[in-house]
Amino acid sequence: MADQGKETARNDKEFAVVGKSRPRLDAKDKVTGALKYIADMECREALHGKVLRSPYPHALIKKIDTSKAEALPGVAAVVTAKDIPGRNGWGAIIPDQPVVCGDKVRFVGDAVALVAAVDEKTAIKALGLIKVDYEQLPAVFSPVDALKSDAPRIHESGNLITTSRVEKGDTEQGFRDADVVLERTFVVPFLEHAYLEPDVALAIPGSDGTMTVMAPMQAPFTTRRNVAPVLGLPINRVRCVVTPVGGGFGGKEDSPIDTCVRAAVLAWKTGKPVRIEYTREEIMLSTCKRHPMIIRCKFGAKKDGTFTAMEGTIYNEQGAYASLGPVLPPAGGVHAHAVVMLAGPYEIPNVKVEGYLVYTNHPYGGAMRGFGAPQSNFAHESLVDELADLLKMDPYELRLKNAFKLGSKTATGQVIDQSIGLRETIEETKRLFDWAGKRKPTPDPTQAQSADKRTGYGMAVGWYRTSIGASGDGCGVNLHLLEDGSVIIYQGCVEMGQGMHTGIAQIAAEALGTALEDVRVLAPDTDSAPESGPTVGSRSLTLMGNAILLAVQPIKESLMLSASELLDTSVERLVARERFIFDPDNPGDRLALKEAARRCMVMGRRMIGQGWYTPPKATLDPKTGQGNPYFVYTYATQMAEVEVDMRTGEVTMNRIAAAFDIGKAINPMLLEGQIDGGIGMGLGYALLEKVILDQGVIQNLDFKDYLIPTSMDVPKIDAKLLEMHNIHGPYGAKGIGEMPNIPTPAAVNNAIANAIGARLYELPIDSESVWRAIQGLARK
Amino acid sequence: MAKKSVTFKVNGKEVSVDVAPGEMLVDVLREKLGLTGTKVGCREGECGVCSIILNGKLIASCLVPVMKADHSTILTIEGLEQNGEMHLIQKKFIEDGAIQCGFCTPAMVLAGKALLDENPHPTREEIQLAISGILCRCTGYQKIIKAIDSASQAGEMR
Repeated sequence: MADQGKETARNDKEFAVVGKSRPRLDAKDKVTGALKYIADMECREALHGKVLRSPYPHALIKKIDTSKAEALPGVAAVVTAKDIPGRNGWGAIIPDQPVVCGDKVRFVGDAVALVAAVDEKTAIKALGLIKVDYEQLPAVFSPVDALKSDAPRIHESGNLITTSRVEKGDTEQGFRDADVVLERTFVVPFLEHAYLEPDVALAIPGSDGTMTVMAPMQAPFTTRRNVAPVLGLPINRVRCVVTPVGGGFGGKEDSPIDTCVRAAVLAWKTGKPVRIEYTREEIMLSTCKRHPMIIRCKFGAKKDGTFTAMEGTIYNEQGAYASLGPVLPPAGGVHAHAVVMLAGPYEIPNVKVEGYLVYTNHPYGGAMRGFGAPQSNFAHESLVDELADLLKMDPYELRLKNAFKLGSKTATGQVIDQSIGLRETIEETKRLFDWAGKRKPTPDPTQAQSADKRTGYGMAVGWYRTSIGASGDGCGVNLHLLEDGSVIIYQGCVEMGQGMHTGIAQIAAEALGTALEDVRVLAPDTDSAPESGPTVGSRSLTLMGNAILLAVQPIKESLMLSASELLDTSVERLVARERFIFDPDNPGDRLALKEAARRCMVMGRRMIGQGWYTPPKATLDPKTGQGNPYFVYTYATQMAEVEVDMRTGEVTMNRIAAAFDIGKAINPMLLEGQIDGGIGMGLGYALLEKVILDQGVIQNLDFKDYLIPTSMDVPKIDAKLLEMHNIHGPYGAKGIGEMPNIPTPAAVNNAIANAIGARLYELPIDSESVWRAIQGLARK
Repeated sequence: MAKKSVTFKVNGKEVSVDVAPGEMLVDVLREKLGLTGTKVGCREGECGVCSIILNGKLIASCLVPVMKADHSTILTIEGLEQNGEMHLIQKKFIEDGAIQCGFCTPAMVLAGKALLDENPHPTREEIQLAISGILCRCTGYQKIIKAIDSASQAGEMR
């Protein structure tokens, strides 16, 4: 592996654009306020759409009377279930969520009617004039209760959506071989994405029977394949236009389907453009969340720390609708991913994990940065840390002893055969943090209580896939070279702040030998962009980058042939770099790339390229959970320093250090931004955030009650990038979007334990729970 | 409700607009003056992305009834460029990678300006405090703090 690192280092000197910290392409537009998000766009003729929502978590709809609302001046349409022109259901994987509920509602916030009116005030007034008679049904609010035989049935198919498992070796034997066995149960809550740009959609009916929907979407193609059947249209008559995305984090994979199908139905019925905007409270109430889970986790180890067996059970709460929870074969969906990840990035000969994905009458779980991995990571990394204490080992040593290395076999039997830098991230973070110099063994609780304030040091490691693990994870692009040497890229992956468009422009510029400034990346418009898949799963830079490298090939051939004619040099001798084509042995005699481009045009040579990249096939046997679910992984280690006020339980973050094996940093500055933001988000999960529910009703619908980290909550972050070349990635790259927020909660939890001498098993770790743990009240 | 007229100086220009009582400053800026660089994230003063500089102070414009802004001086993000040249803080936000989704960016830039106008050489803690009323979900605030610090180091504030 060290050799591969060197390989990258050597190549770096040869790169002109890739590997450079270039400012993002949309930076000026954003910093001047010129960029128009959808809420900033004018559409004067648009009607205002509003959604009437259920106040009950589970109820039959006996009768809806819309007559008074329809009679209100200014109301253009009132839509109930009977008015849906096509399929009354949407969903990223299973279309189980009604556009408008017909027979019953399944969570507080479910849609029961839609209104379109000339202005927002009238639309809101009309909602109040709709009379709905409900018959309340018994509701169920926990996945464990929902699996009981007498539980209320939420969907006709039953409350258990799916079971996933991973089974390797013989865990009974493995635990017999262990000297120490530790089992714990972890509980994590619903989490809100809290993207700052609220959800807005604009639906515009075309005179030719088409429907255009515009929204900040992470998954325009998923939205398209939902809007079309809801309207009863073939997919080619629906156009999805992605407007600038003010933060997504997985949430805008789902919420724009919600807003777009509803706006489209209203636009269809009225024949006019309809705009739907959700308030912050409506977003909290009705859009998807991070799945809450109850995770039982058990590890066995020899005295020297060698892991012998691991078992786990996940009760994964889906809430009212399937969203991105279910398994999309072979290994797509939040649920399969959480199950696959629970054994951690460790070599363990015997593994058995079972996970149940269950409907309840709560809001529903969807994709949120990490897609099941943050939940699983909190469990295995908190447990491994406690196991280290039991073994009287440094948690760093225990992790290093069992961590994946080249040739390791995962819990699913996958051989890690390349791009594996987990151990290097452990060693590097240890140096960066001065772990050896700082951390003291965890004290016993009485010893800890003697101080007013105590400092603690904790760590966690993590792994995360690139791509979605579903069989159909292809990614397409059309790339055009124009006659002045500029480049335009028609593609379907979404810029939502992560910097992906800048990254793929760097890849295109490097591959073509032109300048970053000459490349224009279009935001997805499904009428012109080829299918590229959703912008999720830390997949887009890697998959789209590969597609671009394929698309560039025929164009480069044309360019080089034209240049060889103009330079009177053979094609084999020529290279293209930063807008010029030349023979490296005779660099003074160079040709501007734009001259070669012009000659391509004049000679009628091919100037367009299409790339289609399919990643190595995902395999996972549904019965055994054995196979290769994802084709490459990113690895990370994080270390946290906290100070705990022993009298109040208040936790102050002092510092985070981290190292990441990211294959190749295409743009190090933007990559660091992903790390900083991910760790910030992980701190929210660790210490602050929880959607509080009481009888199915969310108690904290806004930012005054649902707290996300502010600038005062995020400490200084020191991060180091390690580049273990990924043979399947463009210039060796692999995914980074999700990895940084995954190990943070466990690192913080372990640091708190190291400070107070007691362990916590539930997120978020608020002052009260720390205080209770200090007082010995944690486990009743 | 009777319409009234308010007059204020926005980005250096005297403006009079007819407003309805109860209208919030953010909506007048965005809808009547077309200044959509000021964003709306929550409408209750919690997220801070609607922050502007009113009479020299950073304030959440979704909490300001427009009547209260009569005869005031207002700076929004659109007023920061001079003769087509970006403000030093804007340049540093770009160079230091302080921008991601961009939705909080105008407010963060204005927060930096309000701070440096009062305190040209703030400490890291003072910068943290100055931007603490604006939420950012993308950056973990690290590079925003760095950009404001870089602008402070580079000095010559306008």
